[in-house]
Amino acid sequence: MDKIARQGMERGNLDVSAIGQAAAGFLDNVGKVIVGKRDVVELVLVALLCEGHVLIEDVPGTGKTMLAKTTARSLGCSFKRIQFTPDLLPSDVTGIHYFNQKTSEFQFRPGPIMANVVLADEVNRATPRTQSCLLECMQEQQVTVDLETVQLPRPFLVIATQNPIELEGTFSLPEAQLDRFLLRLKLGYPSEDEELAILSRFKQGNPLDSLPSVIASAELRELQKVCRQVYIEASVLSYITSITRATRTHPDISLGASPRASLGLSLASQALAAARGRNYVIPDDVKHVAIPVLAHRLILKTEARLRDRAVEQLVAEILSALPVPVE
Amino acid sequence: MKADWRAGILAAIFIVMEGCWLYVFMSLLNSRVAEGRLSVWGLLLVLPLAFAINSLLFRLRWPALARHAVSWLSWAAAVPVLVKIQLFNSLDWLDVAWLLALPEALGQILYTFRPELLILIGSAIIWWLGRRLAIHQIDFAASVGELQFGLAILALTFLLRSWLDVDLAHQVPVSVTFFLFALLGVSVAHTYEGAGWLSGTDRGQWSGLLIVSIGLVVLLGALLVVAVSPEMIAAVLSVIKRIWEFILKVIMFLVSLIPEPEPAELPPGLQMPEMGAPEDSGWLVMPESLRNILRLGWNILVLGSILFALGRLLTQMFDWLRRRLASTAGAEVEPLRGAFRFDLLRLLRGILSKLFGFRLSLRPRQRSGSIVPEVASVRQIYRQLLEWGAAGGHPRQVSQTPDEYSSVLSRLLPEAGLALDSITRHYVSSRYGLLAPAGAELEQLRQRWCELKQNRIKEQARVHCKQEV
Repeated sequence: MDKIARQGMERGNLDVSAIGQAAAGFLDNVGKVIVGKRDVVELVLVALLCEGHVLIEDVPGTGKTMLAKTTARSLGCSFKRIQFTPDLLPSDVTGIHYFNQKTSEFQFRPGPIMANVVLADEVNRATPRTQSCLLECMQEQQVTVDLETVQLPRPFLVIATQNPIELEGTFSLPEAQLDRFLLRLKLGYPSEDEELAILSRFKQGNPLDSLPSVIASAELRELQKVCRQVYIEASVLSYITSITRATRTHPDISLGASPRASLGLSLASQALAAARGRNYVIPDDVKHVAIPVLAHRLILKTEARLRDRAVEQLVAEILSALPVPVE
Repeated sequence: MKADWRAGILAAIFIVMEGCWLYVFMSLLNSRVAEGRLSVWGLLLVLPLAFAINSLLFRLRWPALARHAVSWLSWAAAVPVLVKIQLFNSLDWLDVAWLLALPEALGQILYTFRPELLILIGSAIIWWLGRRLAIHQIDFAASVGELQFGLAILALTFLLRSWLDVDLAHQVPVSVTFFLFALLGVSVAHTYEGAGWLSGTDRGQWSGLLIVSIGLVVLLGALLVVAVSPEMIAAVLSVIKRIWEFILKVIMFLVSLIPEPEPAELPPGLQMPEMGAPEDSGWLVMPESLRNILRLGWNILVLGSILFALGRLLTQMFDWLRRRLASTAGAEVEPLRGAFRFDLLRLLRGILSKLFGFRLSLRPRQRSGSIVPEVASVRQIYRQLLEWGAAGGHPRQVSQTPDEYSSVLSRLLPEAGLALDSITRHYVSSRYGLLAPAGAELEQLRQRWCELKQNRIKEQARVHCKQEV
């Protein structure tokens, strides 16, 4: 039997139905609290399946923190919240060594970063020094305190929120930090019907209080492993690289997407395909996740900003120009 | 403005564009074949006539074969009338001499190419162009393709005219008119599609944009008229001619370097028989049949090289123009990489398939040997679907995924949505997942495709639009 035919049979044997079921359960569960926004919730699930971090960016009151808390509650994992403020120190995040007078020795007291799901609320309010302490955590799933390196629990997911409107008392996230977020999501305002549904749903109380968890920690780890086996055909891989490479040569972009972005795009496409019940990636998956994966990693040229060009618009233009691998 | 009016405006622009490059090309043929006896403008009247008749036929709910037959029978009826008006105007209509002229010319086709044949072939091509305009939807891609094709034809004609020392002065205003209408066509089509050059809220202001576009095109045309003169074109062409002559001289010099064979010495006692001098005293003697074959090969090589060079030149010109546009502040540039090559290959494929009755695949050869037969079959069906969609005036855009394209076709043909969805779903799983369908599924897929291809997209789309209205 030839190689490609054998690969096809292997594709057929990879069972992603567990991911499909988990995805449906997660979406329904989050949907009990978050009205509408199923696309955004699906992308949060994609990040979970890739063990990638999510930056939720929008104006106040649109449900950023609620989405993060609902996501954490839906997972049977440990959850910590860090409220980022200008006086927050790196040791407040990572933990410190303190002197235990009883035992007469220094002991490590872990910070709130030692959890499966960490909600970094209003992350741009902390100083760059504190923001940078997340770099090692997010990329290498470990933290170094006083020369001692501690492994973070797995799965490890940072859900950060920030408000793009307020500039006073905030510090923009550095590019290196932004590049470590797999996805940047925007919730946007709800429609009229959705807003009415929110009012009626929250009339009796907060549905988050009684929300059950639907995916256990060990189960999520297994699903993440399966996700990595989702097949990507060679031409689709080339399509992914051509998208990221196009961002590097676009005349309106001064800093294009990094190889980490290519990897993120590939992983997110795999996760989306699996969540939709497929064991192979199609170009639609790549297109669907391209803007959330790439937009926050690109830097516009000044003249493009003056012309009110948005990064999302440029990525959409690139997608509408690049040939999709078809016959 | 209603969609029909927009389509009418675009069709009128296309008729003028095609009329212009046809005029330049036909004038050259007229001067060489018919010694200027034909009225080229009279011949070009066939174009709007073909468009009108075929548009009318297209609106009738006749079977496709009947429409084909009536259309080409109309052309066949028009040809003798054209011959009579153009060449035998002095003869009475009852005189059968003008009716016999065409069969006689066809009988002598191997010995001489008479003006009657020029009318026959020229009118057939013009009829086909008019029919194409009536059937296919004119969009931005088509208008850019028409501009590129017309440009290539004009460049080739001017080059030939320069070599043949035919006067160029009369052709310049027609060529400028071609450019004017080509740019106008591109602008109108682009504005009609409402995408690209202007963004934001201005997109919806169709009428305003149309007026601005026309103003710009008229301004550009005025500049062209001032800048381009017959002397300038003649000077450019003479430079190209001199370069070509220099290349020929170099080739001749290289040929002369090949040593002539020396005659072998005869043994003593033998004498050379008396022989007349050969007519061809070239350095290499070869049979006439071989010489003809080599001559044909040489001609093909030269013609191919010229076409290739022209193609490269035009591609470079378009690339340069696009780069220049890109450097202009505020302008958005359409990505048309490989558009000229694509159009040329499509044209060649169309010509070959019409001539030989089979489809010659010009795309890179697929590694079908390494794919399971079921997957190859599904992909073959999908290729046919793409060709069917393109023939219906809705080709897949390069950036469209199979699902996006399927949804576009489904909107045009709602009743075929199930078949489209099924074919696309199987194609996607075969193409990207390497999953082969079962035998029964494949057979069902073939049946769906057979049912689907009976539909005509444009007709259905029109009916659908009317129902919506």
